[in-house]
Amino acid sequence: MALPNQGTVDYPSFKLVIVGDGGTGKTTFVKRHLTGEFEKKYEPTIGVEVHPLDFTTNCGKIRFYCWDTAGQEKFGGLRDGYYIHGQCAIIMFDVTSRLTYKNVPTWHRDLCRVCENIPIVLCGNKVDVKNRQVKAKQVTFHRKKNLQYYEISAKSNYNFEKPFLYLARKLAGDPNLHFVEAVALKPPEVPIDLAMQQQHEAELAAAAAQPLPDDDDDLIE
Amino acid sequence: MDDLEKAILLASDSPAAAAASPAVRAEALAFCARARDESPPSSLLHLCLSGLASSPHAHVHFWCLQSLHDALLRRRLVLPDDIALLRSSLLSLALSSNAASPPFLRNKLAQLIALLIRLEYPHVYPSYFLDLVPPSPPQPGPTDMFARVLISLDDDLLSQEYPRNAEEASDAGRVKDAMRAQCVPQIARHWQEAALSLRAADPAVAAVALDAARRCISWIDVSLVANDLFVPLLFDIALSPGSVAPLAAAAVWCLSAVAAKRMDARAKVALLRSLLAAQQGFGSPDSGLKMAPLVTAYAVEALECYRKLGFSDPDGAAAMEMLEEVLPGVFAAAESCDDDDVDSGSVLEFLSGYVSTMKAPSEKQLGHLGRILEVVRVQMSYDPVYRGHLDVLDKIGKEEEDLMSEQRKDLVALFRSICRVAPSATQLFIRGLLMTALSSAEVSVEDVEITLTLFYRLGEIVGEEEIRNGTGLLREIVPLLLSARFSCHTHRLVALVYLETITRYIKFIQENVQYVPHLLWVFLDERGIHHQNAHVSRRAGYLFMRAVKLLKAKLAPYLDTILQHLQDVLGQFTAMDWTNKDVKLSSSEDGSQIFEAVGLLISIEEVSPDKQVQCLTALLNPLCQQIESLVMDAKTQGLEESSPRAISLQQIVVALNMISKGFNERLVMGSRPTLGVMFKKTLDVVLQVLISFPNVKPLRSKIISFLHRMVEILGISVLPCIPIALRQLVVDNEAKDMVEFLVLINQIICKFKSSASAILEDVFPAIASHLSVILSQDAFSNGPAGSTEEMRELQELQRTLYTFLYDIATHDLSTVLLTPSCRHYLETIMPLLLFTSCSHKDIPLRKVCVQIFVNLIKDWCSSSKVEDKLPGFRMFMIEKFATGCCLHSVLDKSFNLRDANSVRLNQPYNIATLD
Repeated sequence: MALPNQGTVDYPSFKLVIVGDGGTGKTTFVKRHLTGEFEKKYEPTIGVEVHPLDFTTNCGKIRFYCWDTAGQEKFGGLRDGYYIHGQCAIIMFDVTSRLTYKNVPTWHRDLCRVCENIPIVLCGNKVDVKNRQVKAKQVTFHRKKNLQYYEISAKSNYNFEKPFLYLARKLAGDPNLHFVEAVALKPPEVPIDLAMQQQHEAELAAAAAQPLPDDDDDLIE
Repeated sequence: MDDLEKAILLASDSPAAAAASPAVRAEALAFCARARDESPPSSLLHLCLSGLASSPHAHVHFWCLQSLHDALLRRRLVLPDDIALLRSSLLSLALSSNAASPPFLRNKLAQLIALLIRLEYPHVYPSYFLDLVPPSPPQPGPTDMFARVLISLDDDLLSQEYPRNAEEASDAGRVKDAMRAQCVPQIARHWQEAALSLRAADPAVAAVALDAARRCISWIDVSLVANDLFVPLLFDIALSPGSVAPLAAAAVWCLSAVAAKRMDARAKVALLRSLLAAQQGFGSPDSGLKMAPLVTAYAVEALECYRKLGFSDPDGAAAMEMLEEVLPGVFAAAESCDDDDVDSGSVLEFLSGYVSTMKAPSEKQLGHLGRILEVVRVQMSYDPVYRGHLDVLDKIGKEEEDLMSEQRKDLVALFRSICRVAPSATQLFIRGLLMTALSSAEVSVEDVEITLTLFYRLGEIVGEEEIRNGTGLLREIVPLLLSARFSCHTHRLVALVYLETITRYIKFIQENVQYVPHLLWVFLDERGIHHQNAHVSRRAGYLFMRAVKLLKAKLAPYLDTILQHLQDVLGQFTAMDWTNKDVKLSSSEDGSQIFEAVGLLISIEEVSPDKQVQCLTALLNPLCQQIESLVMDAKTQGLEESSPRAISLQQIVVALNMISKGFNERLVMGSRPTLGVMFKKTLDVVLQVLISFPNVKPLRSKIISFLHRMVEILGISVLPCIPIALRQLVVDNEAKDMVEFLVLINQIICKFKSSASAILEDVFPAIASHLSVILSQDAFSNGPAGSTEEMRELQELQRTLYTFLYDIATHDLSTVLLTPSCRHYLETIMPLLLFTSCSHKDIPLRKVCVQIFVNLIKDWCSSSKVEDKLPGFRMFMIEKFATGCCLHSVLDKSFNLRDANSVRLNQPYNIATLD
């Protein structure tokens, strides 16, 4: 697999296609891995941008060539032509926008038409935002299609590595593969409210693990 | 074509593109876009058809097919002649298609044909399917292509899985109707032939054909598939060891689609019966996991029929029998949820549905529930691979813990419903697990962890009364737990869940005091506070404090034992090097709760006064001495904010604060005044820190917390100490510090009312001199500036300041404002209060200010005969407040009567005007 303007490397590399509606944070996500500047403003991707992302695993280095495709145009660029020879994929939606989740099946279908039987991760982005519209419970698409689902927050680096780890394990056929070095990420833009996230992720478990409110602490007023 | 071909290759991920510069690639992309968008449609058609015929490059073929699809979809290609040419070219491409060409090209061609079918079938061109359906015997190439056309048609038009607009829905209806009338039986026959003849010759193509069939089953006559020939063939393919995995899976999915076909319940019972007749025992675990989708779908449908028809109906009863037939297969699937073939979500959904239909489970059903409990146990267990990571809780360990808590959510819900349906069976199950775990030295961390977790979860379901009384097996299991020591108790997970579970059932001990010693040892020995893992020992400290709160007097006889066993831990807390990062864990559980527990124990009224004094002295004196020596050293060597010395001081103050939490004013000032004297002395020592080092912010914060406690428990006797403290606290104040300071003042005002007047008079000028600057800033703007950290701090400070004024006005302290040293500040405060009452953006704040005025009116203008306490105030209220606030602001658009806050605000306005 050849790539525009990027030297090849002597360790395993894979073409990873990132798709999803415009504005779901695909570009922000790939740029968290310290390549290129993190854009605060929303600048729609034109056509495709390819980012080489390296990870070090217990079995050596691997590289994902991340094809960050444009999400918002219907008829411009090569569109699904960019998916050709894709070896793995991430489908991104925005948990603060129901429509972007509603369109996930369409992205999945278009992807699978070009890349049959590749490992795919579904990512619900922007879980740092308080006003989420798609609750973790409502995300069920991945179960039907045998995808892996992760909640992420590109802005706070929350779960950044998870999708890559899953794909690496699938591609290597080794369920115990793990990353051995911390990935250089940009510092979080927003702090993830871990308490809130835990509430989403483990509504049942979290409640029991928290210390009870201290009833004799409320001296004031 | 040559230029276009070059451009397409440069714009894509072809080898040619690798060497090209971004500028060249951008140019190539623009060239392709022009060719697609600016050529006349007929030229584009010819260009693409020639590309398809002549180019050797897959990228070029793909681009041509994609461009034609766009042109057709955008209705750019509309001339009948053009479309006829396109149709005939595509159909001949499809018929000659080679199964070895890349799948993405065959799919793209299929997508284009599917679009033509949507636009033209049957009214323009009625024989698409008759042209495309491969003749008998089916050959791989045409069979594969035909299946892909059907799959594309399903994906792009027929399937309900994607959002569709009204036009698409009506097109879908038209296409399906025409196919049903024209060719569906012929197509179904083709599938069967393809499955039969290609299963060995070309299993991949046979699988694609069955995938197409599976997608159509929901809208065709089901008997075309569910018949004596096709169903046995599908079972044979699914179960034959010779079938390759994708083909076998496709056959299973076809059978699942048959089972899930929507129909009336009675017809469904007949259909399910026929499936079972075709392959007796497909639901047995011997059929293997590959049957999992069918078994699950079958079970779901049978359960649904049973629910609809009921047990008394013969068909309903039959449905339940059929369900029983496949249950072993469901369990087998459930037990292998890690397998990719098993959709663990739908298996779990079925199991939950199944359990929820039970009311009084029969003997047989109890057996099934036992099986499901085992499934839950297995699926909730950790993988031993992560044992080490989970013990030290490194990054991988945390990840695994997160993942597990996610995975456990639905399983816990299922477990709960089993607990409700069959409480005794669940308890029996747990007792069994616990006995096994206790009887073997070899038992694994994971097994003990899940045993305790399930027991803990059981505690969420059984009622408080049942725990208290030890209903059922609890009377046996809880004591078993209390004396349990597992060989793997050193593991963090085991130790933590053990302590949580003990805490969950602690009410049992309230009624069964003979177990108090057992409970104490759980917390005091190496299973609890003396556990080697800091996470565990601190959590144990917190849980012990809760246990003490609950059991209090029942622990009095053990006071000496407890103190003796905690001595080392109490000493460590203040001696530890808190600057070491490993020591810091979460802020809420720093180990300080042990001091609170000890404080609570000493304060129990059953402990004699002498004993109390003795114990408290033993606790307080060393801490006070430590403070004194640290302060002495710091005076000569200085005190940096993050130095070990400053942090030690903080920890000691925290410890003192926690000890004091066990005591209340009634005890230390009323019944046991000696204790009050001791706390008073301690306060003097702590204040020395503040006097010597008023600027060490984190330390100051801890001292303020301690002051809050002392105000609370020492009552009026604390007052002489307060002015010294306040004088130090008013130094070098930022917004945050000011808030802390004011909160303390507010507590003093509320607690001591007019007794605090001298103190208030003393500090008021210092506060008032800051007040006008702080309150006149706009902290509540709506723009992005309103949400910065500084703004939030300012908002909080403003709120606290208004509360401060409100507390003065409502706690008989308004006379302080009239004293000579305070009075002149009223000139700036009154207009600010007026402005806020009338037009502040925050409505609750407006209300606070109006309330302040209401109280001041009551205090200062109570009777018109006597001279007003503040000359001019009455006029100010009548002229400014009455008009500006009571009238105009109500007319202002920010005052919305539909807003509850505004309505509440209106009430004090009315009161204010009445006066």
